[in-house]
This record gives sequence, C-alpha cells and structure tokens, in this order.
Amino acid sequence: MDLSQYAELFLAESREHLSACNQLLLEWERNPAAAEPVGGLFRAVHTIKGMAATMGYGRVADLAHRMENLLDHLRRSGHAPAEDIIQLLFRATDALEKVVGLAVAGREREADLAILADIDRAAVQAKPAPQPSALARHFVASPEPPESPGGPTAPAPSLGSGLLIAVVIRPEAPLKGGRAMLVVRKLQALGTVRRVQPPPAAFESDDFDGRFVVELDTAVAAPDIETAVRSVGDVEGVSLGGGTDEGQVSPAESAAGGAGEKGRGRHIRVDLRRLDTLMDLIGELVTERGRLNELAARWVGKDPEIDDVAIHVSRLASDLQNEIIQARMTPVWQVFDRFPRLVRDVARQLGKQVAFRVEGKEIELDRQILDELGDPLMHLLRNAVDHGIEPPAERKRHKKNPEGEIVLAAVRERSSVAISISDNGRGIDRAQILEKAKREGVLGPHVESLSDDQLLRVIARPGFSTAESVTAVSGRGVGIDVAMTRIRALGGSIEIRTEPGKGTAFVLRLPVTLAIVRALIAAVGHERYALPLTYVAETVEFGTTPLTTMEGKDAIVLRDRVVPLVDLRKLLGTNGGAPAPPPRRPVIVLEMGERRAGIVVDGMLSQQEIVVKAFDAPQGTLPVFSGATIMGDGVPALILDAAGLV
Amino acid sequence: MSHTVLVCDDAIFMRTMISDILGQAGFEVVGEAETGTQAVEKYRQLKPDLVTMDIVMPDMGGIDAVREIVKQDPDAKILMCSAMGQQALVVEAIQAGAKDFVVKPFQPSRVLEAVQRVLG
Repeated sequence: MDLSQYAELFLAESREHLSACNQLLLEWERNPAAAEPVGGLFRAVHTIKGMAATMGYGRVADLAHRMENLLDHLRRSGHAPAEDIIQLLFRATDALEKVVGLAVAGREREADLAILADIDRAAVQAKPAPQPSALARHFVASPEPPESPGGPTAPAPSLGSGLLIAVVIRPEAPLKGGRAMLVVRKLQALGTVRRVQPPPAAFESDDFDGRFVVELDTAVAAPDIETAVRSVGDVEGVSLGGGTDEGQVSPAESAAGGAGEKGRGRHIRVDLRRLDTLMDLIGELVTERGRLNELAARWVGKDPEIDDVAIHVSRLASDLQNEIIQARMTPVWQVFDRFPRLVRDVARQLGKQVAFRVEGKEIELDRQILDELGDPLMHLLRNAVDHGIEPPAERKRHKKNPEGEIVLAAVRERSSVAISISDNGRGIDRAQILEKAKREGVLGPHVESLSDDQLLRVIARPGFSTAESVTAVSGRGVGIDVAMTRIRALGGSIEIRTEPGKGTAFVLRLPVTLAIVRALIAAVGHERYALPLTYVAETVEFGTTPLTTMEGKDAIVLRDRVVPLVDLRKLLGTNGGAPAPPPRRPVIVLEMGERRAGIVVDGMLSQQEIVVKAFDAPQGTLPVFSGATIMGDGVPALILDAAGLV
Repeated sequence: MSHTVLVCDDAIFMRTMISDILGQAGFEVVGEAETGTQAVEKYRQLKPDLVTMDIVMPDMGGIDAVREIVKQDPDAKILMCSAMGQQALVVEAIQAGAKDFVVKPFQPSRVLEAVQRVLG
C-alpha cells in the first residue's frame, strides 16, 4: 500500500492535534484541578500515535505512546499535576512536533528523543495504585456480561458438567486477549458459558499468552463448535473434551439516544494548490468572457439571443469567481492558536505576568495571506511582552495590575481585515526615541516632536532598537522592520498608536484576498501594466506641477511635498514599440504610508478587476513586479508592485 | 449490491485510509462520524451493514457508542479499530457487543479479513 499519498494529511492533522495539545496544556496550567484537559490531551496524543504507526513513523509513534502512557496515569490518578509535569508535557509536545516534521521529511532518524527517559520516569511516579478494572469487578460479581440485559444469569447447577473447550490463539496475533474474548462471545451464543479459565479479567493483561479453557453447556455438535471458534480468526488450535441449556441474549429495548449534530457543516480537505489551479482556470474563463462579450456585441444584430447567452455566461463566471475566493478563506484561529503558548513562554522567560486574549478568531482571510502573517505577528507579540509590558514590580509602583494584558484581535472592515496587537504596558517613550533618532542621524536636529507615523518609521528602521540590553527575545532591532516589510508585501499597511503609561497598539490592515484586485491599467507604448488601486493616491499630468530634484533625481512638488518621479520607460528600459513618448504624459502618484512616488507612464487606459497570478520572475528581473494578469483580449500584463517602486 | 459502511474515527487521516481500503474492495462508505455521539446518530439514520469504530474519540468514546448502537440494533455489525496496548479496552468493546477488531497500523488484508468475518 502506498502511504506517501497520506503524508500531507498526516502532517496537517497532526499539527491540528499538536496545536490542541498546547491549548489544553495552557488551560491545565491555569487550572491544574480541571479534569477536562488531560482527557483531551490523551485523545490528541493517542490519535497522533495511531496515525504515525499507520504511516510507519516508529519514533513518532513511540514518543506519542509514552506521552499517552503518562497522560493515562495522570488521568486515572485524578490528582492535579505538579508544575514540573506540565512543563515536561510542554517540552514533550514540542519534541513531538519536531519529530512529526522530521518524519514527514523522511529524516525521522535525526530526531532527538532524549526526553523519553524523563517521560517514562514521570509516568512511573504518576502511576496510580492498582485497582480492579471495570471488567474485573464485573466478573467477580457475575459470570454474564452486563451487555446482555435480561439474559439468563441462571445459577450454575453443577460445576464441571459442561463441555470443556481448550483454545490457543496464534502467538503472533496482536491483542490475544481481545481475540479470546471474541471466542467467549461466540460460545455464549451457542450455549451457557459456565466458566472461563483463566478468568476473562486476565484477557485484559498484555501478558496473556492466548491459552484458555471454556466450560460450555450446549446442545450444539462438537464439529460445529470447533468451526464457530475457528471462525473468530487467529485461532491456532481448538480441542474439545467431556457435557444442556440454552442461553440467549434478549434484545434490549431500542432506546433512542444521542443528539444529532446536523447543524455542523460538512468539510473536506482540499490541497491549496488545487484551489490555486481552480483560481487560474477561472481567471482564464473571465478572460474568455471578455472576448465573448466583444463577439456578442458584433453579432447581436444578426441574432439577439447571443447577447442573453453572453450576459448569462458573464454572471456565472462572476459567481464562480466569488465562490472560489470564498473557498480560499481560512479563519484566523488557524494561525492565532499557536500564540497563547508563545506569549506564555516569552513571559515566563522574561519574568513578566501577562494575560493574553484573542478576539475575532473566526474572521477569515485568504489562506495565502494568513500563511504569511504568522511571523510578523510573532515579532509584534514578542515585542509587546518584552518592551510593552513592564515587570510586575514596576507595574505595582505605577499602581497597575501586576499582570499585564495583551490582546490580539481581528476585525472585519469593509474590504480589509484589521488585526491589532495591543498591550497595556508602558507605551513608547517618544522623547527617548527622538533623542536616539537624532543621535543616529535618522532625524534632523531641529525636529521637536514625533507623530505616530514618524515614530513608526523611526522604530521600523532596520537595526533601530531602544532596548537597553539585547535579550534573546527581542531588542535586536529586527522585529518591526521585518514585520512591516512582510505586511507591505502582502498589500497591507501597519499603524501604531502609543500613549505613555497606558500602552501601545499596532494595527495591521490586510486585503481580504490577494487573488483579485482592482487595478489601474497604464500603458507604455503598446504595452500595458497594472497598478493595484490600493496604493494609487492620485494622478496628475506631467508638466503641470513644478519640477524639482530630490537627491539628484527628478521630482515634482505636489501640495508642498516633494514627490520623487520614476519614469516607467526608463525604469523598464522599454518604449513599448513607440519610440517617442506622447506629448502629454500622466503621473500616477503611489502612496504607502508616508512614502510617495510618482510613476510617469504614457497613458492610463482603464480601471478594472484583475485576477492576480503568481509570477516566477526570471533571474535578473527588476524587483518591481508582484505578479501577472491576463487582459480581456488574452494578452498578459505585468502587475507593478507599489512597494518596489515607492 | 455492495455492503454499506459507516466509518467512525476522530482522525480524518484514519477515516480516509479506512475508506480507501474498503472502497477499493468494493464497499460503499455511506457515512463518516468523528465522535461517538455522531456514530450513534448516523447509525440510526443510515442503517449501514458494517460500522468501523475507533475506540478513543471525543464526546462519546467508541465503546459507549457500541453500547448505544447495540441497544438500538442487537445485530449491528461493528468492527473495532484499536491500537497496540489497548487490550483491556478491546476486551471491553467486545463485551459491549463489537463483533471483531483490527489493530493499527492497518494492513489492508487484515482489515478485509476481519470485515468478511463480521459480515459472514
């Protein structure tokens, strides 16, 4: 059986369970007396074990098995776990995550499983006092299984008068006790089982060797009994010796129970690449739709029906497009769920007390955007714990709750999603930033104060850090500039609000989807280029505004601000088949936060929705394209990346 | 006519694999359940010829689900899907009325043998 086809499913589902483990451990750490987390943890680890064994990932299965063992002991002991046990489980979860990743990559042997010894030691300590299992208790009380209610629990008239059936289960069979129990059940259907030796409680033990004897009162002929026993499977041998009554299981009342979950949506997993392909195909369909409309306009005089068909096809194509965009949407919790653990770990490391809250988990974003968002959010959260939240003693001095608060919230806005990371910590010291910025020459000596926007630009400069000492957590001055670059690359923006003593908030705004954007189509000669409207601030005509230079480059003065110019002809080194530019050329002013640039083109053609296609730029391509799209006439056009131009 | 099957497991991975094994052998997987409660409900709705049942599931475990299903239908044909080390639970599930069991990691041939025994 080819297992590789299941590897991705294994990885995706294991990650979900690992994420659940972290959530449950956090819950357990907050409330060690709670009974629910250990059950959930046990199930999650158990599921990973089963899947890993099936995939043949021995080390994953082994680690999961030992964790499961420890959890089982903890579950049955019913005591609140010691602090160090929870820490051990956190580490074990991390180790499991690592080995899962390695296993899928075919590098399971590289896994470091030093933690196994610690887990085993803890499991031995956690082992509860032995007590008879439910089954053992049951067999002491009655020779009949409880699941045959109403069945005869007839007192045995005389022991030793029945037929003795000796059975040996194949030595290599797994779970021989289970197989033995099936034999006993089979025989119960043929007569009255008077005795089982060893008693069925022994079947539960892993030491059970698969040999047992059943004493049966029955009218069934010996060969039929042997056939029945062998039909159970994995039976090595049966021998009958030496004894009438019939036991039957009466049907129980068919009780209706179990609440349905009809309200729950039905889900299947779909490979993201499939959705991308679907999106591409729909993009092509949209393109063909454009051509069909043109044809229809030409033929409508001859047969008006063609117009109806064209309109209908148009509508269907739009509906399809919307559906596929919806299918790419993923709730943010898929990324947010790992942050409670992160914040906790960082806070512990730094000796801070932090209550972390997540809001708007169900808000959806395009899968591709969400995937890219994890790292920037991680940076910002680390910063919030490290620089935002004060140490408990300092908070007390300022009459604040020693436990700080960080909130990660997602809110749907009109055509974007806003994600905020806010803390109620000390806020950013503007005076200190200003002073440092002047000292480093980032700002001129005459600047008196910083607006929020200026502040962000200063702290987002690569290498800029005000942390007095560099900690392992943050303060290396990489956090915010990395986060900002990423967010911008996704077509998003980032804002900061901060108030001394009250706290700091970063707000990220992201497009809901990357797949379709409204764009301005500009021309250079006969070539067309698309500029996403998100960043188009305005357009002016070249030559109608004062010209100047800025750092040696051409610029225009627009409402007292100097805007550097980029001539697309020169930048791209093309004339688009028209050697001379037209006499009147438009300037498209792009704006990203505080930065602006004017793009000089030959003409502006239209505004339209374009389907964005990923674009594998050949080496040496200017870093100013973010993708490509197909225009209505089937000719491709490149999409200009505002971040690369401004 | 092919036999109908209800596959109960909390892991999509396992459900997919079991469905593939049984589907390739000509069975018709008519439903899936990821909790014991769902298993009981779906059994009532679908009346499948065979149920494959994981032991450890959230909400209601597989063994309790076997009890509930057997209460509704004493002839229900339920195949337990267990893991190594679950001997006691398997014994309990059989007590509860499960007709056979297979042990993870699954070998398709062993699964199909067990299915034949349960249906035979």
